[in-house]
Amino acid sequence: MKKEKRIFGKIMMALVTIFFYLPIIFMIVFSFNDSKSLTHFTGFSLRWYQTMLKSHDMMESLYVTIAIALLATIIATIVGTITAIGLSSSKKILRKLVTQINDFPLMNPDIVTAIGLMLLFITFKVEKGFVTMLLAHIAFCIPYVILSVTPKIRSLDPNLADAAMDLGATPTQALVKVIIPQIMPGIISGALIAFTMSFDDFIISYFTTGKGVKNLSIMVYTMSKRVKPSINAISTLVVVLITGALLILNLWPMYREKHPKKPGNNKKTAIVSVIVVCVIACLVFFKDSTTEKPYAGQTLHIYNWGEYTGENIISDFEEKTGAKVVMDNFDSNEQMYIKVANNESYDLLVPSDYMIERLIQEDLLMELDKERVQDALDLCVDDTVNLSYDPGNKYSVPYFWGSVGIVYDKTKVSEAELEQQGWNIFLNEKYKGDIYLYDSERDSFMMALKALGYSMNTTDETEIQEAYNWLVQCVQTMEPEIVTDEIIDNMAQARKSIGLIYSGDAAYIMSENENMGYYEPKQGTNIWCDGMVIPKNAKNVDLAYEYINFATEYDGAYDNSSYVGYSSSNEEVLYNLAQGDYEGINAYLPRSGYAKDEHFKYNETTKKIMSDLWSRVKIVASNS
Amino acid sequence: MKKFSKLAYPYIIWALLMLLLPMLLIGFYSIIRPGNDIVPFTMTLEYYKKFFTDKDFLLVLYRSIVIAVKTTIICLLIGYPVAYFISRCKEKIQNILILCITLPTWINMLVRTYAWIGILSKGGLVSTILAFFGFEDVELLYTETAVLIGMVYNFLPFMILQINTSLSKMDKSLLEASSDLGADKKQTFIRVVFPLSLPGVVSGITLVFLPAVSSFFIPKLLGGGEFFLIGNVIENQFITVGEWNFGSAIAIIMAFLMMFLMMLVRKLENRTAQKED
Amino acid sequence: MEKKKIIEFKNITKDFDGQVVLKGIDLDIYENEFVTLLGPSGCGKTTLLRILGGFIEPSGGQVIFDGQDIAKLPPYKRELNTVFQKYALFPHMNVYDNIAFGLKIKKMSKDVIDQKVMKMLKLIGLEGYEKKNVTLMSGGQQQRVAIARALVNEPSVLLLDEPLGALDLKLRKEMQYELKRIQQEVGITFIFVTHDQEEALTMSDKIVIMKDGEIQQVGSPEDIYNEPVNRYVASFIGESNILPAVMLEDKKVRFDDITFDCVDVGYKENENVDVIIRPEDIDIVPVEQGKMTGTVESVLFKGVHYEVMVETVPGTHVTVNMHVRKHNEVTSEDGHEKISANDFYLDIEDMKDIDDKEIIARADAQAWNPQSDEYLSIKVETNLKEELGEYSVTFSTGKTSITRKIWVIDQRVIKNKKANEAISAFNFFKTVDEIKESMALDTDLKLWANAQAWKLNDENQAVDLSVDYDFDEENIKEGVYKVTFWTTGRVFKIHTTDYVEEGKEVGLTFFPEDIHVMEKMGF
Repeated sequence: MKKEKRIFGKIMMALVTIFFYLPIIFMIVFSFNDSKSLTHFTGFSLRWYQTMLKSHDMMESLYVTIAIALLATIIATIVGTITAIGLSSSKKILRKLVTQINDFPLMNPDIVTAIGLMLLFITFKVEKGFVTMLLAHIAFCIPYVILSVTPKIRSLDPNLADAAMDLGATPTQALVKVIIPQIMPGIISGALIAFTMSFDDFIISYFTTGKGVKNLSIMVYTMSKRVKPSINAISTLVVVLITGALLILNLWPMYREKHPKKPGNNKKTAIVSVIVVCVIACLVFFKDSTTEKPYAGQTLHIYNWGEYTGENIISDFEEKTGAKVVMDNFDSNEQMYIKVANNESYDLLVPSDYMIERLIQEDLLMELDKERVQDALDLCVDDTVNLSYDPGNKYSVPYFWGSVGIVYDKTKVSEAELEQQGWNIFLNEKYKGDIYLYDSERDSFMMALKALGYSMNTTDETEIQEAYNWLVQCVQTMEPEIVTDEIIDNMAQARKSIGLIYSGDAAYIMSENENMGYYEPKQGTNIWCDGMVIPKNAKNVDLAYEYINFATEYDGAYDNSSYVGYSSSNEEVLYNLAQGDYEGINAYLPRSGYAKDEHFKYNETTKKIMSDLWSRVKIVASNS
Repeated sequence: MKKFSKLAYPYIIWALLMLLLPMLLIGFYSIIRPGNDIVPFTMTLEYYKKFFTDKDFLLVLYRSIVIAVKTTIICLLIGYPVAYFISRCKEKIQNILILCITLPTWINMLVRTYAWIGILSKGGLVSTILAFFGFEDVELLYTETAVLIGMVYNFLPFMILQINTSLSKMDKSLLEASSDLGADKKQTFIRVVFPLSLPGVVSGITLVFLPAVSSFFIPKLLGGGEFFLIGNVIENQFITVGEWNFGSAIAIIMAFLMMFLMMLVRKLENRTAQKED
Repeated sequence: MEKKKIIEFKNITKDFDGQVVLKGIDLDIYENEFVTLLGPSGCGKTTLLRILGGFIEPSGGQVIFDGQDIAKLPPYKRELNTVFQKYALFPHMNVYDNIAFGLKIKKMSKDVIDQKVMKMLKLIGLEGYEKKNVTLMSGGQQQRVAIARALVNEPSVLLLDEPLGALDLKLRKEMQYELKRIQQEVGITFIFVTHDQEEALTMSDKIVIMKDGEIQQVGSPEDIYNEPVNRYVASFIGESNILPAVMLEDKKVRFDDITFDCVDVGYKENENVDVIIRPEDIDIVPVEQGKMTGTVESVLFKGVHYEVMVETVPGTHVTVNMHVRKHNEVTSEDGHEKISANDFYLDIEDMKDIDDKEIIARADAQAWNPQSDEYLSIKVETNLKEELGEYSVTFSTGKTSITRKIWVIDQRVIKNKKANEAISAFNFFKTVDEIKESMALDTDLKLWANAQAWKLNDENQAVDLSVDYDFDEENIKEGVYKVTFWTTGRVFKIHTTDYVEEGKEVGLTFFPEDIHVMEKMGF
């Protein structure tokens, strides 16, 4: 019977180990995959490592992660240790107070701590970025250090410091030579916990960062919607780094045991060496090669949609100007708006039409110098210039444009059905559980309103309420999946039959899978246009102009459009691609001049109502 | 050691500023309605009312708790035997096994969660294995199961480590005493080992339940856009909707709920510990 | 006797990873006995107990319990219970539940359990404590609960693993009586492990003395006290006078050059033996009536009796010359460095170990900066050879140097065969200041003279030295002084109720049966 139990335990242990390591192994294996697939290994290749190394974003996020973790660990360890020593001799009330306060980050869900810090920084108008993230990390790391040092201090002989001072040591010497060495194990384990916590953190970083400063977690979170095997590559790199560090940390004492050359604190040396290795690694990765270029040493902060830039444009731009580009991504105009309205500083934004309108209304944008953008505007296709949201293009230069439509699996859905039902196909129970909705209040309400035959810019609350009911019916009866960019890969692999989609994403899907089609319903749809604008609080306006022109000129525009799949605003690029890479793909050339199609107009009240209703729709969907 | 008490003062200021003030701010934001230039804000309880009068919000909260409870139970059911097994190994092997369990936690949570997307998606490893056993076309990604797997995966190590600590620091002579008094292995486990490991179990539960309730990236990554838990609602309010006041109110509600649940668990532990016959 | 054997250990061996802890133990234990396993830590007594309890399996041999080999039986199937070293009370249960644990396991009815637990609480004198939290009780109370918890199961044997070790002295005495009382009341076998011989002597019916995994002697406290089989047992069991002797023939033993009558027989002629005479067996008598004579060294009042030390054989002494000089330092020309050192004597036998460091230490050479008081490093140059003679040595720093003499001599060793001792010391050189500054002059003198004393038959066994000198260290001047180092010789410890004056010549007498002859311990 005894043996039986051990066998059960062993099996359990083995299964758990597999469970823990399977994803990691999986990740490592697929980082060497030749194709984009996350499910089939097609051959060995290092291409994702090349992509990773070329990607500024990824390397930068790795650097930020390590830098923040090291700094936060060092500072938190020092402050935490000193505080713990101080507290051990403080009054009881003080001790209790600090313990209580320290419990906040330990006992509260991370998200509460995170929004608390976010509100703190915003209320006191601290510009969010690297420093705020570091401060936040220090804030939640110190309690862990105190927690692990305090018991060690408590187990110390209270006369130790007195004895040292009796023997002639100053209080500082007593601290450094007697107390600190005694509590070293506690300090080390505190430092290790702090490091893991900081290295691993996502939630608190996510809410306290700004200006495009991303750590690994935020990078993965914002990029995860599309299949990006280079995430596997960078993850593998992290695994290798961490495992290496841990091995050194754990094997070093054993090695020292076997080769006892010099006495000394093994763990201390080990940690120091690990830190040194890390710092060297950072330096190797991020050595700055400053050469004499017009904008050398400067930085351009762009806030753009995720998956909205070409493969090479950023590095080409950096090559040309010598400047560094920091790109932060958003999922929705609203997300961008919140940051911009809260005075986070970017040099260039790429919002959509109605959002540009709103930003103009709220006086957040800089009027463009016509002379510096006229050449760029001249290159643009007529559908994108002088539109109602920005007459005369005083504030914006078009970037991409397109329509919203239905992506469908031609093998399962006939065009006739679509012709007949239009948007209402999303209520057709034949496709129950087989549809994707797009997580955007604007597009979802557009679809519902158009399906009901209303204008998408209606201000009539009963019409909006009707549209809400239409959407609720959809989520309750159709079991849709509400997605954002995940739809791209999923439709490319024909996971479902129907989806609400932007024309550009449809173009990409159709180029990947010829069974897919794109349809713009006769009930009308949204024709939209995203433009580049410079916010009032931009720090590097010249560089922003430089980028606007670079992205509108043929090479830049071609790189963007051919890689992303959205319709270019550059006329020449648009027609070249329509006859070239995207030949036969109707989604690349959106419908032009159809009477029922509309541009979206910004209206504060309806926007609020819709956004509230949309989050209700999602909650209903989630609950059903 | 009295001389050192001053060393704590800087941190007390820092703690008040960086830990206490944020909490107060959340509370403050949750009870104000932003106003105009003349009247910057007005006090209100409407956000709390909004939350508690809306069936859908309450349902989300309920589901968040249910899924967290499920996660906790699964972690406990898997974690306890594993922790027990580890604690019964020789010390050297114990250290290796503990390292085995902790190693993955050093690797970024999001990175590890991201890896599950490939495993769980259609045509991925899990569905291939299931297909082999005759369950064709199972897609786990973007289901509750996927979210559960993700949560268990992320939080199980905490449970194992906590229970293991309480088991391995248990005085071995207590087990001998129990055996000496006639209890066989099973009885010893039920009457001595388990009750004595309860503190570890409780802190394990805390460490799993707390992050599970409030997690928002696991449901978002593995549950898809329509999988909404309370953490997602808060994130949504802050990042997309921009209703900070309402978001703050939900955060406060969640924080208090957590505190209440944790107190409940502690109480229960004390009761069982005392009632144990 | 009619007593029944309850436990038999047959050739029990045990090793942990090749380290032998028990070397073949044979031991019988009878019903209703209070047996003590006595020995220093690491002697295997706890291991033996744990084998009996079933917590470890022996590597070899049999444990017969009631005629049945139980060596492989798990603890919960054995009819014996243990009181653990630190009690091992279950912290999550109260007193009642702790005691009732074993009964509940046996699924007894609630009434029966109630009854038995109450009876036990009464036995241990803790009535009314049943709801108490065990972790909040005193050591003595916890102890009693642990005993009750074991006894309530009505075992035929109770094992106690150093149960009194964690208690303070007073409680310990109390618990000794308490344990004995409980044992007599319940009438079962107690097997008690301890390293405290007093505990063993007061409580036991039978003592088993162990050493290095072997049993040295088994017997009643009286047997063991009066007739220890060897020096080890004798020294372990109590204060004693133990001295080497020769067994001339049956009933004739010789030690300290005197032949005595004794009662022991069966030794070989001229066999080397150890002799033990208990302090309370020796009487102090006038000189002419004594079998031995000696001087009273010290008298200590011990409450009931006096402890008198009588020196029967004088100790050994050696006298050396201390050369005191005025000062021994040299200052460099610029006044920034000072250096000091002494002449010294060196034993030719120590020559092989000598190096610069040792020379510096022996000469007590120092160099320092008088302004900053920082010490400086010293270089050594010498023509020292491994031959008797006079040599010179120069200590130098960068700026200054000092030359001193080294005399290599053949060490003077004074041997005292009767007392089995040897002593040696050297002449030495010191300055007035060094002597005045000495904080513990006796110790320093020994150090400076390199004075040592040791047993003749075992060079590694050091003998304590005392120092005599007749100078006044506060007002010492240059010159040569005599310093004497001496040992105390053979000293007998005597317990007597009569007071004797210190320094008085007395006679010592004892009866032949008080001389206990033991075999020399084999090594």
